Amino acid sequence: MIGNLLRVATALTTAGVVFSASSAQAIPAFARKYGTSCVTCHTVYPRLTPFGEAFRRNGYLFPGIDSDFIKQETVPMGQDAAKKAFPNAVWPSWVPSIPGLAFGANGTLITHPTKGSESARADNGAQFSLDNLLEEGHIFGGWSIDDSTTLWFESTFTADSANLERAQILFNSLVGPKHAVNLVVGRGVPTLSSFGPHSSYVSDNQFVTFAVPGIYGSPDAGWQLADNFNQIEVNSVLVGRVELGVGMNAGSHTTAVRPTENVYGHVGVKFGGMRLDGEGSTGSTNTAAPWAETAITLHGFASHANSQFTNVIDAGLSQDISNAYGIGARFQLESLELNVEGYLDKHDHATGVAGPDGHPGAVDVKVGWAELSYILYPWLVPAVRVEHVILDPSNGGISTNWTHIRPGVAILVRPNVKLTVYGDIEMASGTPDQLGSWGGVGGTIQTVVPTDPNTSSSAQLASLNVLIAFAF
Amino acid sequence: MHVCSSRGAAARLSFAVAAFTFAVPVLAEGGTIKGKVDATPPKWLEDTVVYLKEVPGTYPTKAHALDQKGMRFIPHVMSIVVGDTVKFLNHDSLVHNVYSPDGEGYNLGSFKQDEVRTYTFSKPGTYSQLCSIHPEMLGYVFVGQNPYASPVDKKGAFEIKNVPPGTYKLSVWNSHLKAADKTVTVAAGKTLDESFSVKR
Repeated sequence: MIGNLLRVATALTTAGVVFSASSAQAIPAFARKYGTSCVTCHTVYPRLTPFGEAFRRNGYLFPGIDSDFIKQETVPMGQDAAKKAFPNAVWPSWVPSIPGLAFGANGTLITHPTKGSESARADNGAQFSLDNLLEEGHIFGGWSIDDSTTLWFESTFTADSANLERAQILFNSLVGPKHAVNLVVGRGVPTLSSFGPHSSYVSDNQFVTFAVPGIYGSPDAGWQLADNFNQIEVNSVLVGRVELGVGMNAGSHTTAVRPTENVYGHVGVKFGGMRLDGEGSTGSTNTAAPWAETAITLHGFASHANSQFTNVIDAGLSQDISNAYGIGARFQLESLELNVEGYLDKHDHATGVAGPDGHPGAVDVKVGWAELSYILYPWLVPAVRVEHVILDPSNGGISTNWTHIRPGVAILVRPNVKLTVYGDIEMASGTPDQLGSWGGVGGTIQTVVPTDPNTSSSAQLASLNVLIAFAF
Repeated sequence: MHVCSSRGAAARLSFAVAAFTFAVPVLAEGGTIKGKVDATPPKWLEDTVVYLKEVPGTYPTKAHALDQKGMRFIPHVMSIVVGDTVKFLNHDSLVHNVYSPDGEGYNLGSFKQDEVRTYTFSKPGTYSQLCSIHPEMLGYVFVGQNPYASPVDKKGAFEIKNVPPGTYKLSVWNSHLKAADKTVTVAAGKTLDESFSVKR
């Protein structure tokens, strides 16, 4: 029993590490396109500067007229003047004379300082592991085909799998004022925040997200709030200070019987600093710290999801409705930055115990996280991140919580070579009951359901990690 | 006719004497305007013509040739005068088409290697030259009111020669960028240096 649980925890932990270990990085394809350094848009990549965030929001286009900044040689697929002849001529575009591709790799050296810790046990007793030293390879593609349309591609492969993470076409500034109506079609991360999905110095993802029914033991419950989904999204930046977005995605699941049906919306507003769209040269004038600004950004989201998965309670598929609401804020004082975010995610059928209707029981999930960072030098950023998850199941389930503290430092060895050194400290009260595990949130503590699930665990230094990444 | 011929001979003689006696290097009726254009971004620099607006006079029509070779319009930018005719050549072993959506618009159809199409430009303006078979091809015919115009070279340099003395508006056309006109006074035999910075 214990062995089985450890194996499950190991698998989930491995999955968590795979997911958390920089699945997406900077895109040197854009560096080639514009003939510019990574640090135009990034501090320690993939973390974005205010300009980089504006570039991302603009659908990967520079403020102003994008083609003015393209230095890479292009092949016209038609000339601008031909627009006057439309529909008798094809609407023009261009492609790079050399494909707009880039490559990268990353991995993590992991140590477990406490050999007896549950995380070390979940790693089969290993105290020092090079197994993930080179964990992922990436192929990136990025290019604008005219001044308002962009293509984005990203595929990640490991030793035994390949994953198409993103393949999008972004139609920007379709109607009305510039940046007012943008359409994104393809595979990517739903916009639930005003910042890029990799807005963290010590974690791959800004968002703390996990498959809630999976935590309660449903093996094929893959859907979570933020991941790479097939989706359609319409977003907008208004007057440079307000952003809006609504989208629909197919989610992800392993049952493949019926796709999930998910809708979401997002709103954000920024006070001070560079405009959200980067227009008008509103950025920092501090030549020693071009990333520095004093600004506050407030944002929030709502999400409704309907997903299917197998669960021991139901003979066939279980259906879970998730309604989530979140808010967040970024406070910037020159090089000092604090990000705070949280959400409430209410699931009606997610646990391993039957509710009044005979289906899996309901659970309220409360998630919060914060990250404090300071850009000491353009290449050195110490940061600390705290994540907290509370599970409140109904129908006799036990409320549990898990806390994760990750102090670290992100180092840019070269503009395209990164080293992140960080520790993982975990603590929890109990563990998700009904054969659940904290492995689903990237944790390993209390992999064995304690006799008394209210048992509190002392803090454990689960691991010390050195993440190495490069892109070119 | 005879009198004219005598006058011509006398003039040639007096010119030779003057040139020898006073070592005057050039005796020109007009002046020259030359200079350089800087473009931001520089990628549009070659799509530039510097020209004089409204120079009174009538100008004899001419015929010009604009070639298609290596799937390019050569020259990339051509400057002509209203009423001039352009022969569109094809020195590629491919069929080309020439059309322009600008001005009154025209389509000269498709034509094979060594065939020629002609078009006479009756209105001033800039006409994009496109090929529907090879949409990447682009050239420009700048049609001015007068012949005092100069497409820039790859470094942005221009030179307008034999400009009648007087005061004019010196202007610049660029496919994407712009700059304010300048008022210039041209003196006989003198060279005027002017520069432009074209930008969004």
